[in-house]
Amino acid sequence: MEQKRIVAIRTGKTIYRENDKLYKVFEENYKKSDILNEALNHARVEESGLVVPTLHEVGNIDGKWTLVYQYIKGKTLEQLMAKNPDKIDEYLELFVNLQMEIHSKSIPHLNKIKDKIKDRISQCEQLDATTRYELHTHLASMPNHDHVIHGDFNPSNIIISDDDGKVYVVDWAHASQGNSSYDAAMTYLLLQLSGNLTLADKYLDLYCKKTNTLKNYVQSWIPIVAAAKLVTCRKEEAEFLKHALNIYDHE
Amino acid sequence: MEERKIVDSLEALEAEIKKVREAQAKFATYTQEQVDAIFLASAKAANMARIPLAKLAVEETGMGVVEDKVIKNHFASEYIYNAYRHSQTVGVFEEDKEYGIKKLYEPIGLVGAVIPTTNPTSTAIFKTLISLKTRNGIIISPHPRAKKSTIAAAKIVLDAAVKAGAPENIISWIDVPSLDMTTLLMHESDIILATGGPGMVHSAYSSGKPALGVGAGNTPAIIDSSADIVLAVNSIIHSKTFDNGMICASEQSCIVLDDVYDAVKAEFIKRGCYFLNPEETEKVRKTIIINGALNAKIVGQKAHTIAKLAGVDVKEDTKVLIGEVESVDISEEFAHEKLSPVLAMYRAKDFTDAVDKASHLIADGGYGHTSSLYINVIKEQEKINVFQEAMKTCRILINTPSSQGGIGDLYNFKLLPSLTLGCGSWGGNSVSENVGIKHLLNIKTVAERRNNMLWFRAPSKVYIKKGCLPVALRELKEVYNKKRAFIVTDSFLYKNGYTKTIEKCLSEMGIEYATFFDVAPDPTLQCAQEGVKQLSAFQPDVIISIGGGSAMDAGKIMWVLYEHPECDFQDMAMRFSDIRKRVYQFPRMGEKAFFIAIPTSAGTGSEVTPFAVITDATTGTKYPLADYELMPNMAIVDTDLMMSAPKGLTSASGIDAVSHNLEALVSTMATDYTDGLALQSLKMIFEYLPRAYNDGLHDVEAREKMANAATMAGMAFANAFLGVCHSMAHKLGAFHHIAHGVANALMLEEVIAFNSADVPTKMGTFPQYDHPFAKHKYALAADALGLKGKNDDEKVEALIKAVHELKHQIGIKDTIKEYGIDEKNFLDRLDDMVEQAFDDQCTGANPRYPLMSEIKQMYLNAYYGKKGK
Repeated sequence: MEQKRIVAIRTGKTIYRENDKLYKVFEENYKKSDILNEALNHARVEESGLVVPTLHEVGNIDGKWTLVYQYIKGKTLEQLMAKNPDKIDEYLELFVNLQMEIHSKSIPHLNKIKDKIKDRISQCEQLDATTRYELHTHLASMPNHDHVIHGDFNPSNIIISDDDGKVYVVDWAHASQGNSSYDAAMTYLLLQLSGNLTLADKYLDLYCKKTNTLKNYVQSWIPIVAAAKLVTCRKEEAEFLKHALNIYDHE
Repeated sequence: MEERKIVDSLEALEAEIKKVREAQAKFATYTQEQVDAIFLASAKAANMARIPLAKLAVEETGMGVVEDKVIKNHFASEYIYNAYRHSQTVGVFEEDKEYGIKKLYEPIGLVGAVIPTTNPTSTAIFKTLISLKTRNGIIISPHPRAKKSTIAAAKIVLDAAVKAGAPENIISWIDVPSLDMTTLLMHESDIILATGGPGMVHSAYSSGKPALGVGAGNTPAIIDSSADIVLAVNSIIHSKTFDNGMICASEQSCIVLDDVYDAVKAEFIKRGCYFLNPEETEKVRKTIIINGALNAKIVGQKAHTIAKLAGVDVKEDTKVLIGEVESVDISEEFAHEKLSPVLAMYRAKDFTDAVDKASHLIADGGYGHTSSLYINVIKEQEKINVFQEAMKTCRILINTPSSQGGIGDLYNFKLLPSLTLGCGSWGGNSVSENVGIKHLLNIKTVAERRNNMLWFRAPSKVYIKKGCLPVALRELKEVYNKKRAFIVTDSFLYKNGYTKTIEKCLSEMGIEYATFFDVAPDPTLQCAQEGVKQLSAFQPDVIISIGGGSAMDAGKIMWVLYEHPECDFQDMAMRFSDIRKRVYQFPRMGEKAFFIAIPTSAGTGSEVTPFAVITDATTGTKYPLADYELMPNMAIVDTDLMMSAPKGLTSASGIDAVSHNLEALVSTMATDYTDGLALQSLKMIFEYLPRAYNDGLHDVEAREKMANAATMAGMAFANAFLGVCHSMAHKLGAFHHIAHGVANALMLEEVIAFNSADVPTKMGTFPQYDHPFAKHKYALAADALGLKGKNDDEKVEALIKAVHELKHQIGIKDTIKEYGIDEKNFLDRLDDMVEQAFDDQCTGANPRYPLMSEIKQMYLNAYYGKKGK
């Protein structure tokens, strides 16, 4: 196993590469259902025709659940953006186009985003009962759609292959179906959290323009996205998210 | 009183709903006196508790101003009580014995109420009081941030109500609110009174229950050049600072006309408002709105507190923070609803610009709510009109602080006091006015069956008796003083001298006349238009139409075209189901010319009917016109003109009159008047028609009896209308060119049998026709004809036989087939003919509403003839 090369370590999981395969190894305390759900999501997305790495195996190696994916050799969009700041507009265009392509798909069996967030809000101990009540009300009033939603769509999850130049979208752990503006609000918030506020604003303007969506409508998802993110976020991000949450549903 | 259980779960709520429903069922039996006593006691109790409740609300929510909340509580109890103290909410409130209609109030049942954090106690008082006044039960879903104060207010009202005699549990609430419980409440309620954010209002409307949901405003206030600036500015400050700007009707922006801008600004400053400089404006922008939504921390806070949050230093007692901004687009933070003493101020170059800006601001989030204008109402009504046209808001307030003005009864005493302001369809609401008791009441209407009003119409003069023509015509000079007469007839009659007597009489009286004698059988529009050319050139003041049905119909049409050349026949021929309710208003006739009809055959009755049929020769469309305006002014029935009618005509028009009588007799619109005419006419025809047919040239008595019988039949069906026999005969004529009278004769026996059914597939719809009694009417006809029978069935049978025999006596054949109609042709076109007959104007008054399949069967029977005949 000398060829193993660790690519990334995230909370609860280690990702390493071996030849042309990528191994996502989960810690023992990781919920089995979440792991299997990620595999199932990925398989469904793969079948939809979107360009994604192939899922090869779901297995248990040395008592740890492992998902084995096709390894894509290439650079992430995040890396490219950092390397060629003058091409940022071009990359952003590609980024939004890709997201729109995902939203154009419909996969009926994916989890519904509103169900998912509803659970998250209920479980979020960082929020008081009043805020949870308001968020639940707010969420319930948002329209149900059935677009494919990546759920963690940010430049680090986009890889441009060195081999064939194809653009791959990876990490479908949060994939679900629902309102595409939720996904856009999530991307906006992720970009903000990454520290690049200008890029976040630019992204939102471009997304709204290209999809002919009212900015206010995408923004109305932000408190919900912030609440959904709050459960899994890092401590230093919590303050920022709470600020985004602290809005008043007009009376 | 049993201990109330805490409502903190879906199960507990379900149990509570059951209790409140039981209480409401009792409450629904209360009298007006009982209800009014309860309403008074609870309003009093709420009013007494206004200060502690205000304190509690501010303490719990951390928003607003105690003293202003006292006003709101006072308003919710005193003003609401006063507005409805004398209102009736129980029992019959309207009754009209003549029309047999009454209306009564009923409670709706269970009201599900959502209460906001901005006005928790006052809204709770308001909603519980109007529920009590209307005998409804109510369950409140408070906002978690304001649940203590909301519940406290509801409890005070409940306790007082129960003490005054209301059923226990008539008011209740959710103690530990959650969205699931609110949703359950909405699903289980009979009506939802939702005041709250768009999310809550949305849930209310999604619940599938009737909802009065009321949402956000974004009130713009225009200050016109003509306004009283001191009044305007101080009103806005008064309103904007009220409860720290938390009333949804409150001004969010102020649009000032250029020429008074500086003066307005100076007055704002003088009265303690603070104008933010550009840098401060930017800071406040970022503070009040987060990602396009209102920052919860500023709602209901003092100006000073908000400034501090934004890092702006203002005096402690600053009244309002004002940002001078330009954009009215939603991307401008100041253009939003702010629910705090923060105001946007715009400069408008003229009034149109101001109205445009206001419209845009309303589109930004205040659709349907409230708009406000400060103006000189004496001089500038025109501008007010422009403003009221342009604003998509349900309340448009003039020279009024909008917070206090919008809730009603404070600055205008006809605007209903309410703490729930409807925003109409623009705001996604079901009501567009201030919500009150009428929205919590069901109105029952009790409607007793009444007969439809009927009348009897006939020409004002009908001349009868042999030789009456010259006597009648004398009236043209002596009574009516007519100068110019226009005669309409057909060429046969003209050539055979039928108009001679008329012309002679007219000449003797010195009345000028002209004659049009080109009327063809089944007159066409083109023929009538030709006649009208001459008619219009001649400008008569009397039209005399002489001849059979065709000439009289053509005369009527020319009369219409002469008086109203602009009329469209398509409109005039529009189908109606009640001639008194028809959509088309038939033009008034008789303004240019008097109309006289003189029949030369005994049958059509056109001289006394308000009907005429005309065919457009180019399209083939038949226009059957029917309106009492078409009733001739005078009919002259002179047997002299009928003596030489040929056999075929005598027989066809005579049997036509039989069908008129039999159809008018059984029509759903038949009356005692038309029955009398029809029965007597039938008797005369059965006796004299064979004689007139056999020896018409000499049998004066028979001719005269037939003449009168035909006109009487005309009067009967002019008022009772016809039925499906004529519907079918019309189409037989149109499709296969069978003479009208003969066509009726061919269908007549089928129709008698059809209408006599005791169990018709469908009955005709008319109040007077209350059960299938056509059979009995036919039996009356049999009695009049002296036919024998032990019961109605036998009499109807005898009648059919008598009709059959009469037809034989006057040379009418038994079947359609015998008239040489090709079988294939008949069958090929049968379905079209059936559908058109079904749609014929005459079908409506038939006592049995025919199915198309039944019409088809009658046609087939009439074509082939029945076995055994």
